[in-house]
Amino acid sequence: MAVINVTSGDQAILTLGNVAPDSDGIISGGLQIPFVQDITVNATPGTVRYSTLDSTASSAFTTVNENSISLNVLVDDEVMFGNATATGNSVEINGLLPTSIAKTEVYFSVAVTGTGTTGDINISGQGFIGGLAPTASIDSAVWLSPMEIIVNGELTKTAES
Amino acid sequence: MSKRSDLITQITTNLSGHSNISISEELPFDSGGIPLYDKNLNVVYVDEEEIVVEQLYRTLDQGNVNQTTTTLTAYLSTDAKNQFNDINTVVANLLIARNVVTNVTDSNSDYETEITDDVITYTFEYNFITV
Repeated sequence: MAVINVTSGDQAILTLGNVAPDSDGIISGGLQIPFVQDITVNATPGTVRYSTLDSTASSAFTTVNENSISLNVLVDDEVMFGNATATGNSVEINGLLPTSIAKTEVYFSVAVTGTGTTGDINISGQGFIGGLAPTASIDSAVWLSPMEIIVNGELTKTAES
Repeated sequence: MSKRSDLITQITTNLSGHSNISISEELPFDSGGIPLYDKNLNVVYVDEEEIVVEQLYRTLDQGNVNQTTTTLTAYLSTDAKNQFNDINTVVANLLIARNVVTNVTDSNSDYETEITDDVITYTFEYNFITV
């Protein structure tokens, strides 16, 4: 048991693609999103609260999960707007913004502890790219943007074998 | 063209109407233990560039974005008792010479003075920030 150190540069990596992750949770030929400042995996069960006359505290039951991935990135021109000469998947060719505008469903994988080592943890699923809001200011010197993946369905945790 | 040579060129232009002040391309080294700007009054000397590279943004994939600050220092010494009537204009022209350096996200300049015996030395500092 140990904390997960994310300073090595090969952990907490988000990969997008148009093919489903393999059994290890890795997207073959996927686009690794560069310049990620922070990333958050939101796994939130929906709940409904109710009160009864015989209890001093409210009760709850669960409904469906609402999952999402949120992050902030420094905008890379090819990743955000596409690279027509790329030979990878359609997300890499079209870019994040056009993929979001087209409402194209994508597959994603978050390498929590990196990849390539037995036991490495991946969180994967599929969803829609949203929340892009590229912002430029003279103080920040580069384009910055938040981003969200609205997950369609469940998150899947896998460990590399 | 380096920022130093661009700055020297612009200072030369800005002070072209002032026949009593010249600018040297030499570095302000010491000669006989005396800095050249103290030895040669009314001559502007610009020191070599000092560059500091700092991390502006950190990212999880270590694709770091750096900020480079280039600092230049210029010196002008003159007679403290009999300064030029338009010394304020001279100072202003030296300060705005920084505008010649383009493609920077920020630039600033300031100056301070020091009086030794009957000589006043204006020390100008220019900062140019690029990402």
